[in-house]
Amino acid sequence: MIEAHGLTKKYGDKTAVNDISFTVNPGRVTGFLGPNGAGKSTTMRMIVGLDRPTHGSVTVNGKPYVQHKAPLREVGALLEAKAVHSGRSATNHLRGLAATHGISKARVQEVIDMTGLAAVAGKRVGGFSLGMGQRLGIAAAMLGDPRTLILDEPVNGLDPEGVKWVRTMVRYLADEGRTVFLSSHLMSEMAITADELIVIGRGRIITAGAVQDVIDAVTKSSVRVRSPQAEDLVSRLQGADVTVTSVEPSLLEVHGLSAQQIGEAAAAGGFVLHELTPLRASLEEAYMTLTADDVEYHSHGAGEETAPAVVAETEGANR
Amino acid sequence: MTAATATVVPATPTAANGHHLTFGRILRSEWIKFISLRSTVWVAIVTVAVMVGFSLLMGFGMTQIVQNPEAMGGEASLGGTGTVIGTSVAATGYYFGQIVVAVLGVLIITGEYSTGQIKSTLTAVPTRLPVMAAKGAIVALTSFVLGAVGVAISVLVTTPMLSTYDLQVDLSDSASLQSLLGVPLYMTAIALFAFGIGTLLRHAAAGIAAVLGMLLLLPILGTIQVQWIQDISPYLLGAAGERIITGEQVGAVLTPWEGFGVLMIWVVAALVAAAVLLRRRDA
Repeated sequence: MIEAHGLTKKYGDKTAVNDISFTVNPGRVTGFLGPNGAGKSTTMRMIVGLDRPTHGSVTVNGKPYVQHKAPLREVGALLEAKAVHSGRSATNHLRGLAATHGISKARVQEVIDMTGLAAVAGKRVGGFSLGMGQRLGIAAAMLGDPRTLILDEPVNGLDPEGVKWVRTMVRYLADEGRTVFLSSHLMSEMAITADELIVIGRGRIITAGAVQDVIDAVTKSSVRVRSPQAEDLVSRLQGADVTVTSVEPSLLEVHGLSAQQIGEAAAAGGFVLHELTPLRASLEEAYMTLTADDVEYHSHGAGEETAPAVVAETEGANR
Repeated sequence: MTAATATVVPATPTAANGHHLTFGRILRSEWIKFISLRSTVWVAIVTVAVMVGFSLLMGFGMTQIVQNPEAMGGEASLGGTGTVIGTSVAATGYYFGQIVVAVLGVLIITGEYSTGQIKSTLTAVPTRLPVMAAKGAIVALTSFVLGAVGVAISVLVTTPMLSTYDLQVDLSDSASLQSLLGVPLYMTAIALFAFGIGTLLRHAAAGIAAVLGMLLLLPILGTIQVQWIQDISPYLLGAAGERIITGEQVGAVLTPWEGFGVLMIWVVAALVAAAVLLRRRDA
């Protein structure tokens, strides 16, 4: 369990994290979602005491991290791929960390096997790929069999097999009753992996809650209707909360009514329908909507206009 | 990484239970980290090799002076007789040895900052100061042992050539023993000072430049004939510390042990400043 109260971090004039409060509960995978520079890593660094909060406080399993007698058994943290001396082998790196808590060599071997590093464990870390570095970081996080895991962009640099492995692993760990807190800047990744979401932008929490609730709250659903009698159908569909946009002469996009309602209305009026498709804004679009005003680094120019054009995915894309 | 056939489900941990941080464990961790770097082995070899090498060279030089007093300008240029010569020959390696252990002291901490290792280290030991204490202990022990081994081998290998002219170290002479013991003591103090500076600056190049600058450039100040510079120069890092090796001298401002005491003040100041900042700063 991680509890943050009014957590704030300023670097000079710049506020990286601005008075955020949140709780990460055990038994759930909690996603920490935000664009680059939103304050995710800074927050995670404050949780494990690497950065000192300017204001506010954060506790892990009831105490500030620094006060735990066996920190590695409370929290396993992957904060940065390759937080490792490049001249040391993976095994020696893990043995060094394990020794601080008297964790056995057998456990070191176990996390090496678990993360699929056995073949390269004796090699110097300097030659590791990003994905191998990431696996080593996860191995280090797992060393103390911690109750709480904090993983900053864990799938970054992993191949598809590795991505799947991380998803399965965090699910398993959460199901065991552990607290799992992982960050990403990809909504699609979070939608697959997380149960709960905390969305952060420019150092502030934008929204938080169950993944589906967060998505539903920002996703406007619509229905695409194709009919040769489109113009007449419009008058039939109009109502208080309904907006109908004519995309093409025979093509409508309807907000505020379900496909079922439209179909029934069309049948009642004797309209011919060639298409009736429920649409959902994509996760990425929902995320863009959420963080539109809170992105630290905007890209200007090319592509900006085209982004919202046709971002339609059919139902079921979320899971 | 195609070779990875990762277990999907973490196995039940076998032996992660019941253990917490202790200083002994942190010391062991730092020792594992220290000896698992190739550079450590190189530092050890280079330290002893340069100490013995320069000692041999100096010993050979002495024998040349004795064999050819006219060509070299007469007996007086030896600067002493008997065990005094033997001791200065055996101890001469400190000047080079100090550079290697100073680099070791800087790198043991700055190597962690430059690679990102420090984040792993300080996450495992969030109270931080035990890490610094453990690293300091390892730097001190290593430097002392290397200094002692270097000076001992230097005595052994130069004695045969010097004994021909009765210039060898007399180990029953307490002043000679103090000078020889002074070599590992001095090197230990310099390495700890360098470790403190490295912890303060967190950057290898800056740390090495600062320490070597103080060791090698500050003594040049002593040649400037300005009164206040003349007044402070005996108290500077290297000048004060070397007194334990150079021994009793007529007209010296500090006695050998006073000099070593002044050096230790430098060391403690650097370590205390480093410890305060290590606690306070973001990693």
